[in-house]
Amino acid sequence: MLFSLPVVLVAITAHARHARARRSAEQPAIVQLAPRLPSSDLALSGGARWLRMPSLEEPGAAFADGPALPDPDPAGGAMAPPREVWAAETRRTK
Amino acid sequence: MLAYALGALARRRAKAVALTGGLALAVALVAAVLFLADALRGEAERARSAIPDVVVQRLVAGRPATLKLGDARTLSGIPSVARVEPRVWGYLFLPSLQGNVTVVGVREGAAALSVAPNGALSAGRDLARGAHEMVAGTTLARALGLRVGDGLQLPSASPSPLLTLAGTFDSSVELYAADVVLCDEADARAVLGMASDDATDVALTVTNPAEARVVSRTVLDRLPGTRVVEKELLGRVYALAYGRRAGLVLAASIPALLALLILAWDRASGLGPDEKREIAILKATGWSTKDVLSAKMLEALLVGAAGTALGLALAYGWVFLAGAPGLRPALVGWSVLYPEAPLTPMVDFAQLVGVALSVLAPFVGLSIVPAWRAAGTDPMEAMRG
Repeated sequence: MLFSLPVVLVAITAHARHARARRSAEQPAIVQLAPRLPSSDLALSGGARWLRMPSLEEPGAAFADGPALPDPDPAGGAMAPPREVWAAETRRTK
Repeated sequence: MLAYALGALARRRAKAVALTGGLALAVALVAAVLFLADALRGEAERARSAIPDVVVQRLVAGRPATLKLGDARTLSGIPSVARVEPRVWGYLFLPSLQGNVTVVGVREGAAALSVAPNGALSAGRDLARGAHEMVAGTTLARALGLRVGDGLQLPSASPSPLLTLAGTFDSSVELYAADVVLCDEADARAVLGMASDDATDVALTVTNPAEARVVSRTVLDRLPGTRVVEKELLGRVYALAYGRRAGLVLAASIPALLALLILAWDRASGLGPDEKREIAILKATGWSTKDVLSAKMLEALLVGAAGTALGLALAYGWVFLAGAPGLRPALVGWSVLYPEAPLTPMVDFAQLVGVALSVLAPFVGLSIVPAWRAAGTDPMEAMRG
């Protein structure tokens, strides 16, 4: 029981590393296609045009498709973004 | 000491199994959300390196509007901008799918797509210029019942050509292109109903990416009222988007997390009469308080380690082997064209140790308190009950 934790940690780390190496081998395909796409945003919300390319579209109107529509992606989650992202941005804008 | 701790757990098997199971489920839920959010951020970051450094959009009344090709020419003389590319793309609602597809016009001179393993196509070939062809995501082609060589008339307000499916995207790029239709720029204009001098946005390639901020300021000077999106800032967008969704899912799972706290409280709030008697017997047979505490700590460590290990293994299997059923739609959004590509784990050893320690440390710490209290009482009094 005591050794189950280190065994699981090492097994997950090894499997994740292997999966990342396998994905890295597919990077040429991604690099080939990405310049043709509007953005690197993932195609996870194709049914909602305000969410398909969240980095590019409708910055001020997250739910502009109809009045009183439920906000599918409301702001203010319980988890903050990584601190280093804000830190880097602060340094850049100084 | 270890033999005693294992024996004690075996004597109270039901309680040990309940604690391990409860801990495992709570850890699995939290860890699965973290694993999934990290994997999504990683996928978005993977393609970010290959997109243009700066994208310029026009905003009219706070909404994106098309730019004119003349606007692109205005930007062509900016120092350190190697390439200015007006792009034609947009969304098209397909009634047969009840969903939007992303139609992207490919300019003349764009690098050709090749077939996997090193290319982005799984079947067919890239577009032939002027042949009214398209390349589509596998998910989209399947949803429309299209095979390479089939033709499709996309619904459009203006007359648009019949597009022949020349190729489909490989699963390696499915996460970015599941709903994408690539076609010639002229065909995209016809399908989207855009005038010949309109562009959806303008992409700039900067020779020195460190100068992107300076280029952005110059763009705003030359084209006031535009919105400039820098590639570097997209990292923040992804961190925000997936971090926020992970936060929401975690907030929704507060009841499960409360169960973990209740379990921990069960450890802290006191020992049962059997356990108290057992500690008293140990003290009466010569065990010191330190020995009793060590034994109890070892007991908690065994349960905590097993529960955490089981939880992490469950979370990993749930997200990366089973595809996160139940959790994926909550975290990544909804779509009629859902990419089925598996996600790649971004978790590393340090993160795993962090999660494990943040569970184990309070769990073991809380288990010491009642044992300390019981070990401090008179053994005779405790044995009498």
